[in-house]
Amino acid sequence: MDYGQVVANGLMIGAVYACIAVGFSLVWGVLNVINMMHGSFIMLGGYLTFFAWLHLKVSPIVSVVPVAAILFVVGYLIQYLMINRVVMQPVLTTLTLTFGLDMILYNFMNLWFTATPRRVVLDLGRLDLGGVILPLDRVVAMGLALLLTGLLYTVMRTSRIGRAIVAVRMDRDAAALMGIRVNKVYAITFGIGALMAGACGALVAVVFPITTSVTGLFLGKAFVICVIGGLGSVPGALVGGLALGLIEAFAGFWFSPQTAILAGFVIMLVLLVVRPTGLVGRRGYE
Amino acid sequence: MNVKSIFGLAAALVCGALATGLAQAQTIKIGAPLALTGGLADEGKKQAIAYDMWLKRINAQGGINVGGKKMRVELVQYDYQTQEQRAQQLAEKLIVDDKVDFLLAPFGSGHTKVVAGVAERYGVPVMATSASSDVIFNQGYKFLFGTLAPNSGSVENLIAVVTKGIPSAKRIAILGREDVFPKAMATVMSDAAKKAGLEIISLEYYPVGALDLATPIAKIRSLKPDWIYITGYSKDLVLAKKQMADLNVKAPVVTMITGPVYREFIDSLGPLAEGVTSASWWHHSAQFKGDDPWGSTKAFYDEFVAREKSDPDYVHAAAAAALVALQKAIEKAGTIDKAKVRDALASLDIMTFYGPIKFSANGMNGGRDLPIIQVQGGKPVVLHPESIKQGTLKPVQ
Amino acid sequence: MKRLPYVAFALWFLLLAAVPFLASNYFVKIATFLAMYAALALSWNFIGGYTGYPSFSTAAFFGLGAYTGALLQNAGLWVGLAWACAAVVTTVFAAVIGFAILRMRGHYFAIGSIALVEALMLVASILADLTGGGEGLNVKIMPGGPDYIGRVFLYTMLGIMLAAFITTVLVDRGRLGFGLRCIQQNEDAADMVGIDTRRYKTAAFALSAVFCGAIGAAYASWVAYISPSDSFSILLTLKVPVMVLLGGPGTIFGPIVGSAAFVMMEETIWSKYLEYHQAVLGLVIVLLIFFLPGGVLRVFRRRAAA
Repeated sequence: MDYGQVVANGLMIGAVYACIAVGFSLVWGVLNVINMMHGSFIMLGGYLTFFAWLHLKVSPIVSVVPVAAILFVVGYLIQYLMINRVVMQPVLTTLTLTFGLDMILYNFMNLWFTATPRRVVLDLGRLDLGGVILPLDRVVAMGLALLLTGLLYTVMRTSRIGRAIVAVRMDRDAAALMGIRVNKVYAITFGIGALMAGACGALVAVVFPITTSVTGLFLGKAFVICVIGGLGSVPGALVGGLALGLIEAFAGFWFSPQTAILAGFVIMLVLLVVRPTGLVGRRGYE
Repeated sequence: MNVKSIFGLAAALVCGALATGLAQAQTIKIGAPLALTGGLADEGKKQAIAYDMWLKRINAQGGINVGGKKMRVELVQYDYQTQEQRAQQLAEKLIVDDKVDFLLAPFGSGHTKVVAGVAERYGVPVMATSASSDVIFNQGYKFLFGTLAPNSGSVENLIAVVTKGIPSAKRIAILGREDVFPKAMATVMSDAAKKAGLEIISLEYYPVGALDLATPIAKIRSLKPDWIYITGYSKDLVLAKKQMADLNVKAPVVTMITGPVYREFIDSLGPLAEGVTSASWWHHSAQFKGDDPWGSTKAFYDEFVAREKSDPDYVHAAAAAALVALQKAIEKAGTIDKAKVRDALASLDIMTFYGPIKFSANGMNGGRDLPIIQVQGGKPVVLHPESIKQGTLKPVQ
Repeated sequence: MKRLPYVAFALWFLLLAAVPFLASNYFVKIATFLAMYAALALSWNFIGGYTGYPSFSTAAFFGLGAYTGALLQNAGLWVGLAWACAAVVTTVFAAVIGFAILRMRGHYFAIGSIALVEALMLVASILADLTGGGEGLNVKIMPGGPDYIGRVFLYTMLGIMLAAFITTVLVDRGRLGFGLRCIQQNEDAADMVGIDTRRYKTAAFALSAVFCGAIGAAYASWVAYISPSDSFSILLTLKVPVMVLLGGPGTIFGPIVGSAAFVMMEETIWSKYLEYHQAVLGLVIVLLIFFLPGGVLRVFRRRAAA
């Protein structure tokens, strides 16, 4: 196996990883909230996409939009009604709250959808670039992931709401003094986080089997990527995701699949000690 | 309250107590920890279905015959959440608080061991319905019995079928999940393959938390194996096969334990499932006939299909068979005394819809000719044993 | 009035110790879990409650203790000694790792501590020749009937809980507790005032490991079989801080009250609702966060003050 394939594998999965993490990173960086529901949001997006594909024959690529919209509303409401009450409290409080909410969400998802693995069957074929094989559905997922991430970045940079979010992230009180409705910004940010998770779920439905049993795995990945890349920034999540994808690909190639996952955690721990802001991030919340 | 009403109340209470007392004395309670949530939620519900099928049948005929008297059966169920601690706690709760007479083991292998440990101390017989690895029965527990035959028998048959059908398949790559059962299946395969003279070109394990298998699969591709053998749970195997297709990883023989056995594997993969082989512990086309609530494999199959609209797999059958074994042991012992039923189980030698049930010294069901199947035309086809053979091994395209 | 909580605790302790003589083994088991979680909660309280560092390493220490204890026991060491050694190994590990991890604060520390759990679990999986890997590890079975075993482990867990409690009292009253509280309020100021923050934090982190390690080792002996995913359980590591949060972090009795309430609640909910127990428990947690932000004890304290 040549290094070309390793790199290709790493980048393809890395783009999906980036998408998994970007919503999580945003919420964490801006709201100071570790959203334990993130993995479940992704799966929810995945299930909605799957059922749309199964019953309504809608392609996942098209589903991304409505699924993202639905998740945005879900996220917005959850933030507005519940998390806003505790958003300035220590990390443990908010984490516990989202942990409790996740238990409720998981229970219902498990009952409604069951844990049987589902998969959207999209046989798009593959691309063969001189021995390096790129499965087309992964390429599409990667492309969409990059597109969404890029879109988010643009929104954050150029739109009013984006700039409001960045302002709140930099200095909450100053932003409030400038007339920004902080609670609304928080709700929108959380909604965006959920939206990205849902959109990611739609992509993931194409690439991985969807089942409630893996929500924790996705959440775990999001953690690692945020640290590696840097909190609260879109480029950070992108860099972190791609980096993790490559780390796992190379470690898996040189050693074993288990070492691949371990490598991710070890690097994360090392970075936490040496450069906690991550490869790209600025000084985030302490 | 006047005297009459006090009498009435007292009488009612006494009658009620007697009735409950009588009712209790006439039911056999079996404790069933189920994985309704958590990592094994999908697998665990198969047990629930099988238990329910048996329960309805046995109570429809009045219950189990205990020394001439028929006793109805009651199943006490809890969700053990695929957590070891809950499993252990649950075992004690069922025995001590719910006062069950017998226990069924949870789906997870490690959790089975933990439950067996508790049951052993209390002397309560435990029926393991989905444990086929020797490692589960290696703690010397006398009250643990399992209806699945040991893993080694399956790989031996598999190797026999492959070496006969595609003799050019000499180089095998093994990828296993680092989890009790899948790992055991990988290890027995590597031992058996070595003995059969096959060359093991790769033996790797992926962790329980693996989200992506692209790298190990790409590694396998570069080694150009004749036979790819992968173990794991449904979602792992679905992912693996898909990634094999993505990365253009081909081999004449592709085995996934125990993918093709399960309906959801074939449904999820569609045409990608074509040609995948697996070992199984039972196949519904078998022609066993026995003295159990169904009487024959076909009867079990028919009822299952009518109820679930899909074919039963070996997990369903083994779960129901475990209850059948327990039932037969109780009938044989003529009592629900735990020690005597345990002895009856140890010396049981019967034929059922599931096949022969006879437990070895370590509590595992005796080896038998385990079926080998391959997905052909979108359906699992039996390649072995001869008696129920439906097709021959075809190389994967 | 100040003595009342201590008296209450003493009574609670005696009650738990008397359970084998008062009720069935099922209750003995519940009592054992009550003691076990109380000890875990008290442990966490050192680093999470007093120092204010949200640690999620409980499962890492528990699992490390379990494997160490199991391996030592299998090697022939007497059970009690194996448990003690496991506690020591876990503490040393915490002190060494703490050196690196405690440099981070808040969220980063939290993430680092969770990473520890995952990393150790993977290591246990990878070193399959030693630990059995995914197949798990058999631990020598302690001989004895269920009543005897039930009692042995009840008193073991109670003993560990008592040790954790006494340590908490000593820390709370002593200089270490004072220093940790200063660190929680304002670490930089504490540093400037002359408190050796690094040493204090490491001490707290190490203390949070001692009893977890002992409990892990005892637990391994109790169930006679351990595996990586069950010994390094993320769920455990998340539940313990919730218990302390529920009872009142940074107090002597908060962890005990919180863990008792949580365990009883979980037990009741789980056995009553077959299909919805997780949702019900989640709902309870959510309500607690909204209505009891300082934990149960803060409610009492407010009332007492008023």
